[in-house]
This record gives sequence, structure tokens and C-alpha cells, in this order.
Amino acid sequence: MNAPVKEPVGRKVAGETFLAIDDLTVEYPLGRGRKVHAVTNFTAHVRRGETLGLVGESGCGKSSAARAVMQLPRPTSGSVKLDGKELTGLRGSALQEARRQFQMIFQDPIASLNPRQTVREIVSAPLEIARIGNRAERDARVAEMLDLVGINPEQAMDRRAHEFSGGQCQRISIARALILKPELLVCDEAVSALDVSVQAQVLNLLEKLKKEFGLTMLFISHDLAVVKHVSDRVAVMYLGKLCELASAETIYARSVHPYTRTLLSAVPHPDPDAVPDKIDMVPGELPSPVNPPSGCRFRTRCPRATDLCAKVVPEEREIAPGHLVACHHPLEN
Amino acid sequence: MGEIILDVQNQRTAFATARGSLQAVDGVSFTLERGKTLGIVGESGSGKSVLSRSIMRLLPSTAHTGKGSRVVLNGKDLMTMSEGELRRMRGPEMAIVFQDPMTALNPTMTIGKQIMEVLMFHLKMPKRQARAKAVELLKAVGLPQPDVRVDQYPHQLSGGMRQRVAIAIAIACEPDLLIADEPTTALDVTVQAEILDLLKRMVRERNMAMILITHDMGVVAGQCDDVAVMYAGRIVEKAPVRDLFRNTRMPYTAALLSSIPRVTDPPHRKLDAIEGRPPDLINPPPGCPFAPRCRFAEAACREQVPPLEGPGHHQWACIKPLGEEVAA
Repeated sequence: MNAPVKEPVGRKVAGETFLAIDDLTVEYPLGRGRKVHAVTNFTAHVRRGETLGLVGESGCGKSSAARAVMQLPRPTSGSVKLDGKELTGLRGSALQEARRQFQMIFQDPIASLNPRQTVREIVSAPLEIARIGNRAERDARVAEMLDLVGINPEQAMDRRAHEFSGGQCQRISIARALILKPELLVCDEAVSALDVSVQAQVLNLLEKLKKEFGLTMLFISHDLAVVKHVSDRVAVMYLGKLCELASAETIYARSVHPYTRTLLSAVPHPDPDAVPDKIDMVPGELPSPVNPPSGCRFRTRCPRATDLCAKVVPEEREIAPGHLVACHHPLEN
Repeated sequence: MGEIILDVQNQRTAFATARGSLQAVDGVSFTLERGKTLGIVGESGSGKSVLSRSIMRLLPSTAHTGKGSRVVLNGKDLMTMSEGELRRMRGPEMAIVFQDPMTALNPTMTIGKQIMEVLMFHLKMPKRQARAKAVELLKAVGLPQPDVRVDQYPHQLSGGMRQRVAIAIAIACEPDLLIADEPTTALDVTVQAEILDLLKRMVRERNMAMILITHDMGVVAGQCDDVAVMYAGRIVEKAPVRDLFRNTRMPYTAALLSSIPRVTDPPHRKLDAIEGRPPDLINPPPGCPFAPRCRFAEAACREQVPPLEGPGHHQWACIKPLGEEVAA
């Protein structure tokens, strides 16, 4: 099913590749031959212990890409390898077995916890599914995990999700995600619903746990400042395609893709003396992912677009070691 | 000093709950001049949205407004008005833009009808003229193809376009006061920038006063003349925007500012989180509501609620404000 994957340029980074996403395509059929092109030929390799941030606006495909990595649902085509093992071909119990290695935290902390279950049941569920330990052993593990995420186990174990604040629910979600000691943690807008003071607590907690558990992370967010705080490298997406991929420092200081620059210039700075950046984007609406523009998908909003952009899909090029960009007319950096 | 169009004095709003009375807004006072934008910033539960609804008198029946609360708009006391009088005020004198542009619009009516309704009710405009005005308003808020869009339903529009429509409805009768309650929180960052620019332009062109409610310090910094920081139902610091950021006095404001991740920070910087969580407003702690989380708090802070005081336009509710060490 997989076409021979061409060796991706620029993704070979120092260290061992742990998560290899190659030529990932996610499409949702709409009937009558029409489909949503959620993610198109997305490739990124993440090395062990690294955090890859995935940013972009609504509809850019960042969540679809993350879910395809989780096999929730399986991607339309392409390959997802975790520690060399292909995930897209796994079915049934083999997939369930493999899922111990990769877990996910979702955006809405309250909706992602079963309201009818106690915290004990919620956090121990992965252990039960994996048939690990007896009841007492599982309880001990749950208590240990809750303690690690900053929830008092004695007070919390027998209570239900509605008795906790959003930040506490997100901590419980993290405990559940990490109880099987996964190696890959996918965070999909995991702190977006939280207030800033609580968001800071949860971000610091994730950074601490990443070190303790040696986690590799895929961190999806629309908030560029949050992404910068947790990521080693950052991939910027627009309408299902990768625009730019580089180290976090490079993306924020020396990005060359017009869309990356636009996105960065739109972030409001918490400083009354900051001169607002001019947002260099053609006014208009995001095109439909059902019928994306030909060539470069950003061309309808890009001030630098030419005829070439409409005709030819820009290839991903490595303009500096580890700095990839898919643009015919990149900016000076 | 400009013309004061809004005067809020000692606003107190409580809700009856099963556990007891929840004091959502606890003695808030401020004035607002024409042409100015006041930012009200705070975290969930700080009372900023309840305050906006208290001003608009759009509270549910479970809400109880405290004795001595006064909201005076254009010299008229809203507290003594009947529902009918208030309806006639909402639109021509005060209007609100809500966070979620999908639920704020009626899904069964075209956007044109929703704008025309306001014009026909308040300004007694004939239908034909109202329709032409609706198209004009849609154009003013930057909706592409306004003459086509006017006959479309909300679901046919993107989130950013719906928020533009909500703004068009709010400014249709040229209100003196516009309250924007988290108007861009549900929108993407590039769309947010466009909507904030639009609001700023509308306030300037129409010489309105605006209250911009947000949790985002970045939005406050770029859009407001003055800022009020709310915590546990009270204003804990109020200042011209530069003073608030450059000469922060209230430890809560300082903690909030330093807990924000910034794009200018180096990657993996540890954030200065505020430990703990906001107080339970049914059973608030004694004294300063921030004292349980404040690293500078001492015994006196837990005894009395500090009043909002300060020289000139910069005021804070703290007995141990920051920046006094040097002066002492």
C-alpha cells in the first residue's frame, strides 16, 4: 500500500528517529466523490526525547495529523512508524498492544473524563485494559501517578470529574495518559482551555514529566507562544500542507515562509510599547479544504504569489541545515 | 477630560446557588469617557462577564443586584428602569458583542434580517431603507460581497465573518457604549487581528466608548487606553495601560503578567505559574482575596479587604504593593 518513500530531506536530525511520519495523507469523504483534504503528504521525523510543535490555524490539519499518528482514525495513506514499527497496518489486539506506547491528551479537560467514573476508575482504566497488576497494585500505581501530577490521591481517588477545576481535570488526564509509561505523548491543544495562571502550571508539569519519563512529544496548538515554550522543533501547517519546519529558535527568529511570518506578526504582544507588526496577508477567507487552491495552498492569501505558485506545488527544500520550507518565493531571513 | 458617559458605582451582583450566595461581582466602581477603551482583564470566574451583563442589565433571574449598586449611562440610571425602557436603550445607547458568534446570531434568520430588525425597531426605519443600511453596515465591517451575504444565514459564514456580522448589529444604531466580551477568543489569530482592528476603527470613527473584556494581556496591551484587572469579583488594579505594564503595583497583576508564555522568550523557559487556584466565591477567604496565593502576603492581608486606592489614575487594592521598597 505504501509507495516507496523517498528519503526526506532535512529531517535527519542528530539522534535517533523515534517517530517517523512519512507522506501522511488524511482525507474525509463527503460523498459524490468529494472529500476534505485535511492533511496532504505531511512528513516529519521526531527523535527520541524531542518535542515537535505543530502550529497553524483552524483547518490547517494539525489535529487530523495528530489523530492519524494515534490511528484515530487511520490515515488515508502514508506511514507512521514508532521506534521502527509501522502503526498503520496494525489491527485489533496488535494495535491495542501498541497503544501502550503512545497516548494522547485532549483539549477539553472535563469532556475527556467520564463523568460517571471516579478518578480511581478513570486513571486505572489503561491498566485494566492492559491487564496489569491486581486491584491493590493498580490502586498504588494510580496514587503514585496522581501524586506526580500534583493531585492529592487520598482526596481525589473517589471523587468524580465534575468536582474538579479545568486545570485539575487536565492533570488527571495527564495521569491517565502516563500510567502505562508510554514513550510518545500527543498533546492536542492540551492547555488551550485553561486560564493563563493554570496553563503555566500545566506547561511546567508537562516539561517536568517529559524529563522524568523520557517522553517524545507531539504538541499541537494554535498558540505560538505556548508552542515555543515546549518545543525543540516546530512545524507550521496551512490548509493541510507543511509550510515550514525548523528548530524553535529558527521558526521564531528567522522564518522565511510568508505564512509563518503572517502568523507570527498576528500574535498580540503583552507590551503596550510593542509596535504592532504589519500583517502581510491578502484579505479574504480561508479557502475550503474540499477544494483547495492549485499549486501552493497559501497562494490566494499570499502577497508574494505569482503564476508559478498557482501551477506548481512548491517542493520542500532545505535552505539551511534542518530548516525546511515549501515556498517558491521565500522571504530573506 | 472627556465627557463621562458611563458611571458604575459599587456594583454588586450575586447568584443564588444550592450552596449559598455566590458574590460574582463585589463592589466594582469606574467611569468611562467617550472615545476611550477600557480593558477589563481577568481569569475565568473573576466576574468580568457578569460585570458586563450587570451593566447591560442582562442578568438571569437568579442574579441579585446589591443595594447601592448604580449604573448611570448618559446621565440615566439603568437600575431604576423598566424592562421596556432598557430595551429601548440597548441598541441606540449601549450594545454588546459576545464571544461566540454562532450562538449570538439567530440561526433561522438571514443576517440581513437580523440587522434590519434592529434598525426597524429602534430607528423606525422603513424596510427598504433598513435593507440598504444593512448592506452598508456589512460593508463597513469588511464583509466581502455584502449585497450577496445579506441574504445568507449564519451557518453559511465563517467564524470571523459571523463576528463581523455581530459587530454590524451592535453598531447599527450607533451606540454610545459598546461592550465587547471576549470578541476574538473563539477566532484564529490572524482573524483576531482583523476584528480587533475593526473594533478600534469603529470606536474611533463613531466616537463611542468601549469596554473590552478579555483574558489576553496581549489584546489589552494593544487595544486599550485604561485597564482594570479583576480578581474574585473585584477590581484589584486599575491604570492607564502603560502604567499597568511598566509600573505594576498589585502582586496579582504582576503574577499574571509573568505567567504568560511569550513568543520573545527562549524555548523551554520555566513559566512563573501562580500556585493554587482562585478562591471559592461562595465562601471567600477573609481579607484580600489574593492573599492565599500571594507570595508577599502577611497577617494583615488576611484581616481586611484592601480598598482600591492610589494617586491619580493608577489605583490598586493592596496593602503591600510592589515598588514601595525603594521609596521607603
